Amino acid sequence: MHAISLRGVTKTFGELKAVDDLSLTVPEGAIHGFIGPNGSGKTTTMRMIVGIFHPDSGSVQVFGEEMTGIRTGLIGYLPEERGLYRKMNVRTLLEFHGELRGGDNVPQQVSHWLDRLGLAAFADAKVETLSKGMTQKVQFIAAVVPKPRLVILDEPFSGLDPVSAESIREGILEMRRSGTTVVLSTHDMGTAEALCDSILMIFKGRKVLDGTLDQIQDQYGNDTIRVSAEGAGELLASLPGVENVRDLGQYQEVRMARGADPQEMLRALIACVPVKSFTVARPSLHDIFVRIAGNE
Amino acid sequence: MNKLLIIAKRDYIESVKTKAFLFGLIVAPILFGSGFIGIALLKNKPDIAERRIALVDRTGEAAATVIEAVRERNERDLIDKDTGKQGMPRYSFETVAPDTANPDAQRLALSRRVRSNELYAFAEIGSKALHPDSAGDKNPENGISWYSNDSGVGGGRWINSPLNDGIRRVRLRQSGVDPARFSDLLGSVDIRPMSLVSQDERTGRIHPAEKRDQAATVVPLVLVMMLFMIVMITSAPMLNAIAEDKLQRVHEMLLASATPFDLIGGKVLAALGRSLTSSILYISGALVTLNALAMFGIAPMELIPWFLVYLIAEITMLSAIAAALGSACGSPQDAQSLGMLLFVPVIIPMMMMAPVMERPNGGLAVAMSFFPPFTPMIMMLRQAMPGGVPAWEPWVGLVGTIVGVTAISWAASRIFRVGILLQGKPPSMGELLKWAVRG
Repeated sequence: MHAISLRGVTKTFGELKAVDDLSLTVPEGAIHGFIGPNGSGKTTTMRMIVGIFHPDSGSVQVFGEEMTGIRTGLIGYLPEERGLYRKMNVRTLLEFHGELRGGDNVPQQVSHWLDRLGLAAFADAKVETLSKGMTQKVQFIAAVVPKPRLVILDEPFSGLDPVSAESIREGILEMRRSGTTVVLSTHDMGTAEALCDSILMIFKGRKVLDGTLDQIQDQYGNDTIRVSAEGAGELLASLPGVENVRDLGQYQEVRMARGADPQEMLRALIACVPVKSFTVARPSLHDIFVRIAGNE
Repeated sequence: MNKLLIIAKRDYIESVKTKAFLFGLIVAPILFGSGFIGIALLKNKPDIAERRIALVDRTGEAAATVIEAVRERNERDLIDKDTGKQGMPRYSFETVAPDTANPDAQRLALSRRVRSNELYAFAEIGSKALHPDSAGDKNPENGISWYSNDSGVGGGRWINSPLNDGIRRVRLRQSGVDPARFSDLLGSVDIRPMSLVSQDERTGRIHPAEKRDQAATVVPLVLVMMLFMIVMITSAPMLNAIAEDKLQRVHEMLLASATPFDLIGGKVLAALGRSLTSSILYISGALVTLNALAMFGIAPMELIPWFLVYLIAEITMLSAIAAALGSACGSPQDAQSLGMLLFVPVIIPMMMMAPVMERPNGGLAVAMSFFPPFTPMIMMLRQAMPGGVPAWEPWVGLVGTIVGVTAISWAASRIFRVGILLQGKPPSMGELLKWAVRG
């Protein structure tokens, strides 16, 4: 059974078509990444999966059940817009969220996650006294207690320092190990590549990419060359078959035109400057994102 | 536990712990109570400073008789029969010959004496006061003009009667009536306000009418003020709290676990819990106080169930409106300006209390008490007034209130559902109505 199944889903706000005829399936127990530029329809799609919004047309099923406005307690949700009752104690607040989702052993699960994310010492503190990073971790716990079958995380790493981001990342992996399906949106392509089993890209409300990283990269072939060469700078763009050059500081990423021969390019380059490294590769997710969202 | 109850429990516990709730619980009755105590104290300490009046008589023949009439009445009423103490000021007069050449200059000079507190007021008996012409009130010469710093006729309604008495005496004397008969002819009789006589339908026993006095209006006044007070301290913070929660963006996460109906229902239920907490405290306090003062008999025990029913209806209605308006707020300033809209169902009945108490079974009072948003306060007021209302009226009013409260809560929950996730510019009144209708 699929954890999530969307069929022909469309959602319009006034004149704006936020999501346009979107179909998608997410298998159970996987981590599925949503990527796309701001305003592309990721949050609207997530809100429809959670049941906050209803689609104008199409169907949204979670674990085979149509989302008809009933809250099952199966879904944990971390919205992009962070907000918690600031006057409440951390533990009381988390137990409230757990109770609301109707789970068992809520106090034990709250204690487990507070320990896991290094917040045990702040269990009795008021939310308003916590730092931004700690508040975000508290909100993450609020989304994952009691253990839901599906967790939707909208930008879970945004604004976190590397240590906090790492603890959230580990938490996500722990959930996957225990069988929870995770859907997360991110603007960090490195995170999506490293963490997600499959990736969906939405652009202007429509699905433009869907599959595993390999499947997505296969669509583009080995058209990317990473070059490190002294003084290559502007020279690269003038070489035969080069379509685009992206300077990444320590090396340049070159995109070849369809049918162009990398060997020919290498020969031309060596003739002009000393080459330190030359790697033929598939395009990164970042590159693919920019190609699509940059209207290339 | 039901999600609605979980939300209600959280909201109730968190709100009764706040300083604002505890402060309101204690301070509101002190403020309202001190108002009543202040009125009672002022009543026991009347202004008894002598009032000196300058009298300009343009008839040329009324002054002495008018002054004598005021003096006689003043002597009679000076001592309060209940307390044995002076209960009103003593009036003294000086007559001033009218300046026919320049009356305005004379009025200015007398006004200056009033402003310097040399005089309390000055009165001008018009030249035609003894025999007014057909112009009536429009011709100032047909009556007595009273000039003072007070609003209306200084000294209250009391001075009207002896001044008129004096004018009538002059007329009687001119008609040849023996002055010894003046008291008999001009004496007034006491008019006692009484309730209607009623009959017990079961036993046939006739219940005699009861004398109505001003004290009889204290019970309805206290009940309605208490209702108003509890509604204000319960509902006012709710709008701000929901608006603040919206600005803090706490609702989106909750909406993944609970429906908008659970959210708004839980908040309304928590508000009801807060109001019942206040009510139990206030009613118990009032009963204990009355018992200590040996005045338990005036406690309207038969009205307490109705009080609680009306309180529940009022709080449900206002909490639902507060949730809808709070969800529409884009900033704390919006919450302040929308607050006025929230309290229309209690402010208008408060403003109409005087005319309703004057004629509790008049057309206006009856009509208002059947208009659902006003029913709780106006029907409560009418029921508590001496004489009460026909037995069917509160029940019909209650049915209307339940229908009204349900309709308002339904519309409010639809507005809440749309408004709670919107950020930025607050919606217009038209948009709110559209959300209420279309959802």
